[in-house]
Amino acid sequence: MADLLNEIKAQIAGAKVTAAKQNVGVIREVGDGVAKIEGLSDAMLNEMIDLGNGVTGLALNLDETEVGVVILGDYTQLKEGGEARTTGKLLQVPVGKGLLGRVVNLLGEPIDGQGPIKSDKTYPVEKTAPGIIRRRSVSQPVQTGIMPIDAMIPIGRGQRELIIGDRGTGKTTICIDTIISQARLNKAAELAGDKDYRLLYCIYVAIGQKQSTIARVISVLEQAGAMPYTIVVASPASDSAANQYLVPFAGAAMGEWFMDNGMDALIVYDDLSKQAVAYRQVSLLLKRPSGREAYPGDVFYLHSRLLERAARVGEKYGNGSLTALPVIETQSGDVSAYIPTNVISITDGQIFLETDLFHQGVRPAINVGISVSRVGSAAQLKAVKQVAGQLKGDLAQFRELAAFAQFGSDLDEKTQAQIDRGKRIMEIFKQKQYNPIPVEIQVVVIWAAQNGYLDHVPVERVKEFQNKLTEYFTTRKGQLLAKIGREKELSDALKAELKASAEEFKQTWK
Amino acid sequence: MKITKKAKREAKQLYRFCLPNGLLDENRARQVVERVVARDERDCLPILTHFLRLLKLDRAQHTAIVESATLLPADLQKIVQGELAHRYGLGLTMAFAQRPELIGGMRIQVGCDVYDGSVRAGLEALQRSF
Repeated sequence: MADLLNEIKAQIAGAKVTAAKQNVGVIREVGDGVAKIEGLSDAMLNEMIDLGNGVTGLALNLDETEVGVVILGDYTQLKEGGEARTTGKLLQVPVGKGLLGRVVNLLGEPIDGQGPIKSDKTYPVEKTAPGIIRRRSVSQPVQTGIMPIDAMIPIGRGQRELIIGDRGTGKTTICIDTIISQARLNKAAELAGDKDYRLLYCIYVAIGQKQSTIARVISVLEQAGAMPYTIVVASPASDSAANQYLVPFAGAAMGEWFMDNGMDALIVYDDLSKQAVAYRQVSLLLKRPSGREAYPGDVFYLHSRLLERAARVGEKYGNGSLTALPVIETQSGDVSAYIPTNVISITDGQIFLETDLFHQGVRPAINVGISVSRVGSAAQLKAVKQVAGQLKGDLAQFRELAAFAQFGSDLDEKTQAQIDRGKRIMEIFKQKQYNPIPVEIQVVVIWAAQNGYLDHVPVERVKEFQNKLTEYFTTRKGQLLAKIGREKELSDALKAELKASAEEFKQTWK
Repeated sequence: MKITKKAKREAKQLYRFCLPNGLLDENRARQVVERVVARDERDCLPILTHFLRLLKLDRAQHTAIVESATLLPADLQKIVQGELAHRYGLGLTMAFAQRPELIGGMRIQVGCDVYDGSVRAGLEALQRSF
């Protein structure tokens, strides 16, 4: 006992009490989610500011005598004259696999009522994108399970592919389908013990959406069994503008962790138009000068610095990737508006969805004419490339001829055949929502269409034919499908096997 | 009252004029106010309002407020004054105050910088850590 007392006495004698220097300021003005703070002379840009009462802010404007802060929380508790202090920390969020299957807010706090997040690591929300040396070219595919995309607008891991269209054209559905497809592939690879398959984790960032919409998305993901591979980061419409503008960066930080640790991740920003609007609101409240459509001058930088964080990094730097699917909502199909043109120029391609096509029953309503993937073809599976190589050109020709045929003139046989083939291809590209198609099935169906197996089928029965063909191959030719999936290329032997099977099916089709 | 950018700019120029050696010359500040008032122009009020704000900030920047639970003895006050003058240079106005709620220790504020070695701050930090 005496030893213990002596030890404690020695520790007390050796202890030094130091008063750490703090940098403080006084709240001069507060309202609309922003505060002006006098003092805080040592504040850094994007530093977290402790505003008291458990409320945190983010320093966005550093002026000579005051600091402009956006408040991340309930600003009604703050009062003029209150004390604020710097924290020396940048805004950080928890990262890691502990977030999978969870719904979190901007700060990485759970909002799904399933208890605390198991994570011991944090990443700063604002981070510089990987540089040129760290990057490597895109060469691995992201199988979206959506036939027109995988066949004609392929997406690679590390790519940034914009999904753009008017409201209600199926932008979110494409993203959800892609997430569901990844979950199915991940699950299949885990069950098969396939170590060569790189699991693709997904992050869905909901920006400024209705809470009911977010709840619906979560419910769809849960029903499809995709949640164990997915993180949902939500900042609904009821959140402050500051939260809505920052939440994509929080999602990107969570995705970067996977990339830095040799894993692949896919992030969906749904949608960046709302983020731009939230950023405009914050900027106007901070009295930053406004430019075109009242957006601040750095709205391009806002999106470019976010999307540049999507990359595929080299083996030395983790060998991971972060694929981004930003969503932009257009007004009356106007892609030449400020924000759409900005994001189109930043991304590596775009999938354009059209209202007219949607109402014609072409769903997903992808306009393949103006949709493009600038880097994805290098990542496309060879088997898909073999069967779908000519598809885009054929469809372009079909559209041209179909427009011409509207005048009712007589057509020669060749032209009529091209139009008929085009109509059938358009039919096979129609797909139910939340029902991604495995790549092997896609190969079989497109191969069948390209090799004239659909030519004798009436257009209105093409979908039925496709479904029966899919059923036939899944139930009876599982080995052939597995072979296509394994070899990833259509060899002559495989083509012969495919032909024999297709002929066999043709006999049964009535 | 709206203080325009122009008024702010002019107030800042006048404020700089009052800092001949980096320290505020009070006589000059008084003269500035008198001259601006005498000019009797439309924007003299916004200019003077902003000028006053800059003076307040300058005053806060050059004032050290030393608070303790009981008033510090003269010798300790001298030591603190010397240390602060060494750290912040000359022209520092000292203000010693008694704040029993600090319980013990000392809290010093110079402009935006706060050195809080009070018992109360320690307890608050401990509470936050829980």
